[in-house]
Amino acid sequence: MNNAFAQLIKNKRVVVCVGSGGVGKTTTSAVIALHAAIEGRKALVLTIDPARRLANSLGLDTLSSEMMRIPIERFTAVGVKPKGELWAMMLDMKESFDRVVERYAPPAERDAILANRIYEYFSTSLAGTQEYAAAERLYELWDEGGFDLIVLDTPPTTHALDFLDAPKRLEDAIDNKALTWLYKPSLLAGRAGLGIFSTGTAYVAKTLAKFTGAELLDEFSVFLRNFSVLFDGLRQRSGQVRKLLTGPDSTFVVVTAPDALTIDEAIEFFKKLGKEQVQVGGFVVNRVRTPWVDPDDLKRPAVTVVGALVESHAHFENISPESLRDLSRRLIDNARDFSILSEVDKTSIARLTSVVPTHVPIQKVPFFSTDIHSLQGLDLVRHAMFKLR
Amino acid sequence: MGKSTIASAFALSCARRGERTLLMEMNTQDKVSAMFGVDTVGTEITEIEPNLFAVNVTPAAAMEEYAVMMLKVRVIYRAIFENRIMRAFLRAIPGLNELVMLGKAYFHVTEEENGRHVWDKIVLDAPATGHGIFLLQIPNVIMSILSSGHMFEEAQKISDLMRDPKITVLNLVTLAEEMPVNETAMLHDRVSQEIGMPMGVVIANGLYGRQFSEEELSLLEAAQKDVREPAVSRMIDAARFRVQRANLQEKYLHEIDETIKLPRIDVPFVFVPQMNSEALAQIATAFSSAAEDK
Repeated sequence: MNNAFAQLIKNKRVVVCVGSGGVGKTTTSAVIALHAAIEGRKALVLTIDPARRLANSLGLDTLSSEMMRIPIERFTAVGVKPKGELWAMMLDMKESFDRVVERYAPPAERDAILANRIYEYFSTSLAGTQEYAAAERLYELWDEGGFDLIVLDTPPTTHALDFLDAPKRLEDAIDNKALTWLYKPSLLAGRAGLGIFSTGTAYVAKTLAKFTGAELLDEFSVFLRNFSVLFDGLRQRSGQVRKLLTGPDSTFVVVTAPDALTIDEAIEFFKKLGKEQVQVGGFVVNRVRTPWVDPDDLKRPAVTVVGALVESHAHFENISPESLRDLSRRLIDNARDFSILSEVDKTSIARLTSVVPTHVPIQKVPFFSTDIHSLQGLDLVRHAMFKLR
Repeated sequence: MGKSTIASAFALSCARRGERTLLMEMNTQDKVSAMFGVDTVGTEITEIEPNLFAVNVTPAAAMEEYAVMMLKVRVIYRAIFENRIMRAFLRAIPGLNELVMLGKAYFHVTEEENGRHVWDKIVLDAPATGHGIFLLQIPNVIMSILSSGHMFEEAQKISDLMRDPKITVLNLVTLAEEMPVNETAMLHDRVSQEIGMPMGVVIANGLYGRQFSEEELSLLEAAQKDVREPAVSRMIDAARFRVQRANLQEKYLHEIDETIKLPRIDVPFVFVPQMNSEALAQIATAFSSAAEDK
């Protein structure tokens, strides 16, 4: 097989699927891992979505945060003979981040962090924590070495790099001067040059407390003080994660829908990742609409379609000529409806193609008429994605 | 799911019924202006159609409005809140951004001039599910952490208005497809149970509609074998595709009815290269009778 996308997946041990929300990232990730498993590798898909129907179609009730083996031998029912293993696991973000705390916080701070109300409500919404937790878990599983391929389905985000930058962003968010002042007030004692803090500290503090309430500041400062002990561990580990994700074993696949807005976002991802020396190995464009009919044929009068239908000797005799003309008109209108959508897709994919170097494959998966959440459906997607015949 | 499109179309239908309507985007890349064909909608309220106004709320702008209101004097606001360190600080306080954005929405809800409400209707285009829930639960979260202070009082005020069925209604937008239906059912349960907001309708967007009856399709398929013109045969393929997709959507409409106990409004798919005000007006008619609301 000399298909560039199939080749790409074959040569990698880690595939990270990134993209906007609602573009079929979870299904794409699952199909990539499924294909590798069918080809004989031991593959794991890490998803962030319980994806009930996807799980059902793979023979599971639901995906959970426990690692589960998918019974892919069921694919023999659709004429496929799987040679490897497929495993799946859902990432629970809160749980993943709790693991990070448990790993890096000294025992004294650990419980205080986990019990803090700010942590409880905001640990999964602080800048980049979700992405970091996912990357961290990926690294752990890769490090254990049990799989030939790990496919990571990432949280929908508009910043592809939250992923790699998460530890740094976390640190920036917490380690800036203003916040340090909150949880290490002694640092500032006797120091000048911090502008308004050295001259009007009391007034600012008073205003701030009036604004937020003193309790929030207290709770927040406790959280920050405890949380800051994680930094050394995070910094060290994030270096290793970054090395894995930018190294030769890994590739990023940008998943997108074919509409103009989503393609714009995909191009943004591509550019940003490139700036960070992250290799985007390929694109998957899902749900590409089919141009059923040549645009010229949409202009033909309905009567010529009537002619073609009548000529077929099918049982049109029970239909009045008016109804038949009406049916023909609707046939043309319907084909025109889809032609409009197909043009939209063609234009935006052309824009993507013009930005992306030719050696990076852009794989188009059609918008199917049937539900893809079944063995046949997933196999249909697999065939389209890996250009199998 | 087409949330912004639906919010815009709904706001348009309200405005055309004669209600003075404010359409709010929440700190996103502005999509309203492209749909209505007007200049970019920023943080200042602007009229985009007769009776229809729009604004894109950012935390920074909402914070300034709120702080100036609280501190009364803009000069003091500048001195305190525009300080570089202070700004970094305010950005980092958990929940504050979301609270001031909701605060702005509810300020306009209660805004009066000469004893009359300034706005008949405020349509808020909330963020997608995950972030949406986060935004909507912020007042409750803050109330559970705090017991006094401005932020607490503000959270309490907003929370009361959010849960008042005379004031607020949450409408859900979904697609008749697997993942969106699941996500929307989850959103519905969490918002009604955890946040206690009054729920209005569930809007099924992008319905293809059955353009051909089953009898017509089977006739066409019988004819297809003998049709000599490839173009006509492809038209029959397209018809089959339409019917199969419509069938699939119908299945998920049933699932919506099963899992989300709210009145359902169906919105047809609009086959246009790009959303424009004409297509919006077409969608708006779906609401003209149906969503009689707050």
